[in-house]
Amino acid sequence: MRGQRAFLLMTAYLLLMGGLIFTVYLAYVASSGNNFGPSNRQAGKAVFTAVLLVQVILVLFIGPTFTSAAIVGEKERQTYDLLRTTLLPARSLVTGKLLSSLSYIYLLIIVSIPLQGIAFLLGGISPIELLLSQFLILISAITFALIGLYISTVLRSTLTASLTTFAVAFTLTFGTPIVAALITSILGPVLFGPSTPAWPVQIMLIYGGLLLAATNLPATLVISDLFLVEQDALVYFTDFIDGRLAYIWSPWLPYIILYILLGLLLYWACIRRIKRVARK
Amino acid sequence: MSTIIEIDGLTKQYGQLTALNNLSLTIEQGAVVGFIGPNGAGKTTTMRILTTLLQPTSGQAWLAGFSVTSQPRDVRRVVGYMPDFFGVYEDMKVWEYLDFFAACYDIPQSARRTMVDDLLALVDLGHKKEEFVDNLSRGMKQRLCLARTLAHDPQVLILDEPASGLDPRARIEMRELLRELKNMGKTIFFSSHILSEVADICTSIAVLEAGHLVAYGDLAEMKQKLRPHRVVHVRTLGQLEDLQRVLIMNDHVNGILTSAEVDLPPDTIRFDFTGSDQQMSSLLAELIQGEIPIVSFSEDGGDLEDLFLHLTRGIVS
Repeated sequence: MRGQRAFLLMTAYLLLMGGLIFTVYLAYVASSGNNFGPSNRQAGKAVFTAVLLVQVILVLFIGPTFTSAAIVGEKERQTYDLLRTTLLPARSLVTGKLLSSLSYIYLLIIVSIPLQGIAFLLGGISPIELLLSQFLILISAITFALIGLYISTVLRSTLTASLTTFAVAFTLTFGTPIVAALITSILGPVLFGPSTPAWPVQIMLIYGGLLLAATNLPATLVISDLFLVEQDALVYFTDFIDGRLAYIWSPWLPYIILYILLGLLLYWACIRRIKRVARK
Repeated sequence: MSTIIEIDGLTKQYGQLTALNNLSLTIEQGAVVGFIGPNGAGKTTTMRILTTLLQPTSGQAWLAGFSVTSQPRDVRRVVGYMPDFFGVYEDMKVWEYLDFFAACYDIPQSARRTMVDDLLALVDLGHKKEEFVDNLSRGMKQRLCLARTLAHDPQVLILDEPASGLDPRARIEMRELLRELKNMGKTIFFSSHILSEVADICTSIAVLEAGHLVAYGDLAEMKQKLRPHRVVHVRTLGQLEDLQRVLIMNDHVNGILTSAEVDLPPDTIRFDFTGSDQQMSSLLAELIQGEIPIVSFSEDGGDLEDLFLHLTRGIVS
C-alpha cells in the first residue's frame, strides 16, 4: 500500500474509532439511569472494551485476510514462478510476506492505543490491564496472520484462501464457546447430578475450562481481566476446593505459550510449502 | 565449446498422462536453440524442470554442471527464466521492478542502480524508468521481463514464448534483442510458435511432439537432410514452352511444375535441381543465351514450416 491510500485509510480508521468511543460513552451515559451520571471508572471500562473489541476483530479477521492473499496472490498475478527462480530463500519470502501484512495491522493497533488513553483519563483501567491486553493482541496478530499465510501457500485462489481463513478464524473464535456450552449442557447433569461433585472433578472442570479458554482470544482476554480485577491475580491465585489448596492460573499464560508454538509450527510449515518443488 | 545444458532421459508424468517421455539432448555454450512443437508437446514442462520449478518423474538435467533436482540454488544462479505468462506488481515502477528482482538475486544495493540503468538501456526502456510497470505496453513488459532475467548476468536464458502476443514491431524488437544477447555470448533456449523467427535467430532446433524429441540438430543440416535437392523458381515474360524445353534438356533438372499444375504466380516454373552452384550458374547462362526473357531466377531455401510439418504429425500428449 503506497501513496495516499494508506494515509486515507488510517484517517478513516481513526475517525471511525473516535466515533465509536464517543457513541459508547454517550450510550453508557444514557443507559446508566444514574441522575448524577455514570461513574467515570465504569465509562472508562466501556471505552476500553469497545476499542479492544475493534482490535480483536482486526487481529482475528482482517489481519489473516491480508496474509491469506499474500502467496496465492503471487500465484494469481503470475509472479510466483519469477520469485521461485530467484535466489530468494523460502524463509525470507515467508518472513517478508508476514511482516508486510503485519506492519499495517500493527500500525492500526498502535495508533489506536492512544485512544485507550481516554479510558485512563476516565480511570476505568489499570496500566497492567492495558499492557496485558495489548500483549495478547500483538501475539495473536502474528499467529492468526500465519494461519492466513499457510492457507495462502496451500490454496490456488485468493477468494478460496480468504474464505477458508475467515472460516478458520471464525471457528477458533466462536467454536470454543460453542464447545464449552455443549459440554456444560450435555455433561453437566451427568457429572454434577443433584449434589456438588467430588474435588477431583471440580479441579478437572476448572483446569479443563481454563485450558479451553486459553485457546480463544476473547475468552482469554475476559477471564484474564476478571482474574486481574476481581482476584488481583496477574499469573495465578489460590483457592480452597473442598478444603484443598488449588492454584488457579490465569489463561493468558497458556494462551501465549500455545499461540507461540502454533505460530512457530505454521511458520515452519509455510517455509516447507514454499521450498517444495512442484510435482504437478 | 563446452556443454552447458545436458538433459538425460527426462520424463514427466501427470497421473496417466506422459507429458515428457525420455527426453535427452545436450546444448553447447553460446548456442541459440529454438524449441518447437505443437501445443501440449511438453515444451513448457521441459522448461519448468530446467528452471527448478517442477520435479521430473525420472531422468536428470544439468545446467552448467549443476543438477536441477539436487542443486536448485546453483542452477538458479546460472539461469534466467522468462515464462510464457508473467505478472507484474501493481504500484511498482519500472526501475523498482528490476531493483527488487536484483535484490532477490543477492545483488548488493551499491551495484543495483548502475545495473538497472544498464539493463534498461539494453532493452531500450531507459525513458520509461519512472513509469509504473502496469502502464507499459505488452511489448515493453515483455522486454522488461527479459531485462529481469538478465539481472544476475546468467549464462543461460530459458525463454518460453518470448514473442507471444506481440505486435509485428514488438516482435522485431524482441528478435533484435535476442540477437544482441546471442552476440553477448548467452546460451538461449527458447520456445516459439512463430517458426520464421526461430529460423531467423537460432543455430539449432529441437522439435518436440507428444513428449518425444522427434528431431534435434543444426537447422541447415536438418533442412538438407529433409530435402537433398534444391528447389528453383523461374519467372519469364511468357515464353514458358521455350523455358520448359531448355529445362527438360538439363540433366540436373527434375520435377518441373508450372503455374497451371500447382499454386504458383503466373508465367512461373518450379523445378528440383540436383547439381552444384556451378551447374546452376551454367543453366542460368544457357537460358539467357537462348533469349528466354527471364524476370527472376531464385532458389527456394525451404522454410521451417515445411520442416515442422514434415517432422510432426499433429499429435499432442
